[in-house]
Amino acid sequence: MPSRTCSHSPSGFGKSLPEQGLLLLVVLVLLEGSVLPLGAASSPDVSHQDDSHNHKVADHGVNATKKVFPVLDVDYHHIQTPFEISLWVLLASLMKLGFHLIPRLSSIVPESCLLIVVGLLVGGLIKLAGEQVPPVLDSRLFFLCLLPPIILDAGYFLPIRPFMENVGTILMFAVVGTVWNAFFVGGLLYAVCQIQPANPSSLHSIELLHCLLFGSIISAVDPVAVLAVFEEIHINELLHILVFGESLLNDAVTVVLYHLFVEYAGVGTVTVMDGFLGVISFLVVALGGVLVGAIYGILAAFTSRFTSHTRVIEPLFVFVYSYMAYLSAEMFHLSGIMALIACGAVMRPYVEANISHKSHTTIKYFLKMWSSVSETLIFIFLGVATVDGPHSWNWTFVTVTVILCLVARVIGVVGLTYIINKFRIVKLTTKDQFIVAYGGLRGAIAFSLGFLLDQNQFAHRKMFLTAIITVIFFTVFVQGMTIKPLVELLAVKKKQEAKRSINEEIHTQFLDHLLTGIEDICGHYGHHHWKDKLNRFNKKYVKKCLIAGERSKEPQLIAFYHKMEMKQAIELVESGGGVKLPSAVPSTVSMQNIQPKKPPPAKAAERALPQLPKGREEEIRKILRSNLQRTRQRLRSYNRHTLVADPYEDGFSDLLIKKQKMIELEKKIKEMNNYLTVPAAPPDSPTMCRARLASDPQAYSMKPVSDSVPVIQVDLASPQSPDSVNVMDEFRRANQEEDQGLMMKPPQGSSGSNKPGEADTTRDQQRLMRCLSDPGPSADEDEDEPFLP
Amino acid sequence: MGSSSSSMDHIPNAEELMQETGFSAAHLLRLYERFEFLDKDQTGELRPEDFGAIGGLALNPIGDRIISAFFSPGQETVDFPSFVRVLAHFRPNGTNRTRNGTQQEPVNSRTRKLKFAFQLYDQDRDGKISRAELLQVLRAMLGIQVTEEQLQSIAERAIQEADLDRDDAISFDEFKKVQQVSPHPQTPTKETPLHPTEGGR
Repeated sequence: MPSRTCSHSPSGFGKSLPEQGLLLLVVLVLLEGSVLPLGAASSPDVSHQDDSHNHKVADHGVNATKKVFPVLDVDYHHIQTPFEISLWVLLASLMKLGFHLIPRLSSIVPESCLLIVVGLLVGGLIKLAGEQVPPVLDSRLFFLCLLPPIILDAGYFLPIRPFMENVGTILMFAVVGTVWNAFFVGGLLYAVCQIQPANPSSLHSIELLHCLLFGSIISAVDPVAVLAVFEEIHINELLHILVFGESLLNDAVTVVLYHLFVEYAGVGTVTVMDGFLGVISFLVVALGGVLVGAIYGILAAFTSRFTSHTRVIEPLFVFVYSYMAYLSAEMFHLSGIMALIACGAVMRPYVEANISHKSHTTIKYFLKMWSSVSETLIFIFLGVATVDGPHSWNWTFVTVTVILCLVARVIGVVGLTYIINKFRIVKLTTKDQFIVAYGGLRGAIAFSLGFLLDQNQFAHRKMFLTAIITVIFFTVFVQGMTIKPLVELLAVKKKQEAKRSINEEIHTQFLDHLLTGIEDICGHYGHHHWKDKLNRFNKKYVKKCLIAGERSKEPQLIAFYHKMEMKQAIELVESGGGVKLPSAVPSTVSMQNIQPKKPPPAKAAERALPQLPKGREEEIRKILRSNLQRTRQRLRSYNRHTLVADPYEDGFSDLLIKKQKMIELEKKIKEMNNYLTVPAAPPDSPTMCRARLASDPQAYSMKPVSDSVPVIQVDLASPQSPDSVNVMDEFRRANQEEDQGLMMKPPQGSSGSNKPGEADTTRDQQRLMRCLSDPGPSADEDEDEPFLP
Repeated sequence: MGSSSSSMDHIPNAEELMQETGFSAAHLLRLYERFEFLDKDQTGELRPEDFGAIGGLALNPIGDRIISAFFSPGQETVDFPSFVRVLAHFRPNGTNRTRNGTQQEPVNSRTRKLKFAFQLYDQDRDGKISRAELLQVLRAMLGIQVTEEQLQSIAERAIQEADLDRDDAISFDEFKKVQQVSPHPQTPTKETPLHPTEGGR
């Protein structure tokens, strides 16, 4: 088998790093492009190879001629399939990397567009090399492997509250809007194809049902595309959840319409009975999907109740149960997407109450990773399939399709909004309507559905595929690229990055109770009434079953409060090694040791470590430096000269003792450390925005946490764990003399104002150590607030 | 529903009420019917016990506060106009029918709604939500399964977040500012239990 390697030398090396990186990527792409046809070429040869090999062995057995023992042998088809898969995944990931090396490009062009272009390039390369393009967007691969991670990611982290509040609107758009789109596009296309009787073209042979089928395929808003584009534009939560929710829930409609039309396209007629059955089928598909998902979700929640001893496999349960929900729903031709969403949304509150913090982080990052890779692969494959796919371009059909899709969407959105606004309290403005209409992107699901069509039954399949691809390209490129400037132009409200505060949470709950009460007074069984009933039921029965141990009784507010405190603690550890602390105590840390609180810490006098004038600080620092030197000398060698009493030493003997204690404490704490999270990338890139959730701290700075800086580790595996109590005990012992309230910082073992000198020297010492190891503390980290106000 | 004009005669000062609160005739009628239903002994006025008879309110953690909001300080009964005036706070924003020149601001504006909610927190009407009052609310909402320290720390944190002038209490302005931080859909502006086409009892 001739081995083909592409030797390319990039002409002209770029001097700057991003350009070099880009060139490297181009080389890699080309190399991969060459290996893939290699792989593709070898596949038909496999069986042939085996036969010839067997023959050779048989021959050798007969002839017994000695062959040179192969020291190095190439056996590509042994590992071919996994290798190719890995190569594709690698390509996808490298592309993702590459785009972020070129910041300007990624801010103008959405990632999805770039990825499609890459796919086009790779497909083109493969075709150029004369090889068979692997059928990458094969429906089985797409629906069973590529789509589920993205949907699970969306479902698990679905913001339940905005979703439920707008569920009526979302359902209207998803169901009525999609049906309207399908019939409008299908019907008008048929009409257009029938005109021009003088000039009979191939279009005349299209049947109505085929057109309607095509309409139903093309009319569904695609969740992958919507996610990819909307991620980067940061519009307000309402619009996001409207468009995104619609893209998720219209799956049921699409499934029903698709199967309906495929079934009856052969027969040629659809009766009213069939239509009626279609409606029933829709209800079954949608509700059945949700039910299947909910059942698996409850199973997963129940399983997670017992995982306290095997924390390592907790994330696995989440993934496996969800995937099985998807597969089960697909088995019955129910809506797999809705099953997945329901499963994730149902299991999440209970699972999160049961699993450890690390498992939670694992789940989050795995989901984000898989969905990210999936999405990238989907777009690349779209590009490849475009190059490969059987095309049959027909100007009329394609252009009319594109126009009709746009028109149908706009009319649909405007019309529906008019009706919906009568029932909504917060009305949808024209701007909102525009964004909703403009955000109706089509994507790979439409293409896969088209790909599934049988060529024999549908003569115009190629034309359909071409039209679908054109619409996808149009929406993703044109609409995807222009939506960001349009959002800016129209001054649409953006997502507010404000952190959720405890006040907000308290007030939200308070309002819920208030509005429920008012509803009761008015005798009106509205939204709040039912929500309240559901909450009560949940608290009374469901939580007891599904949540392990004590946490089943924990009210939501407390859980939220814990989360916030943890978040803050994480933030502190990440950003500066724990010098600045939360001003209130997380309940996970044992609170029995805490002294009664003092009045608020705003006044400077409350600080246990008063400021020193500059001159004194300098003096202390000098003494400190020299003293440290002296210590080292003393420890290293026995020197007769230093036995003489040193006037400097006396005053600082206790400083040294404290230093020793510090080091010991440091060691002890390091032994029971539980690092909490993985440091994150700079917060602004879109991928990081996706990876970062509402529960993540907003501002991560990449400060290295060096070993010499004492850090606080809070054991979050379970509340009131023995570890956390130990830490507090240590401090108590260290603070035996002082009564100034408790300090969580081990190096500041001494806190009181009795010894301002030493306290400050320790602080300076710490600062010195940090200066030596850290890039430098930020300005406000020098304030040593006592742990308790 | 019967001819509204004849039933409207039962309602004293119907026109004025409609002007003042912005309710439509149909709304007002429904409220009147509800009022009469609650008024078990037909005195034309409601007492706290009448409110207490409503099942859902008994389970509501802040039920007693809501009830007391209907009663002006010192009064023991609520007549229909006061009943309606309190409920007018919860009308949706968009349908302000009439606006007299004399009214500075419609009854259901966002500020008035927030003020109503604020007064539910601030039981002693001193214009501030003190730490003790906040603790009471928290205790009511969170029930018995929470320890004292947890309540204290939550209240502490809440006050720290909202309290800008450091007086250890939340004034109405600070309260408003906190609610404006994020456009949470569940602000008081969103509620209307009184849409005539939605389900009844």
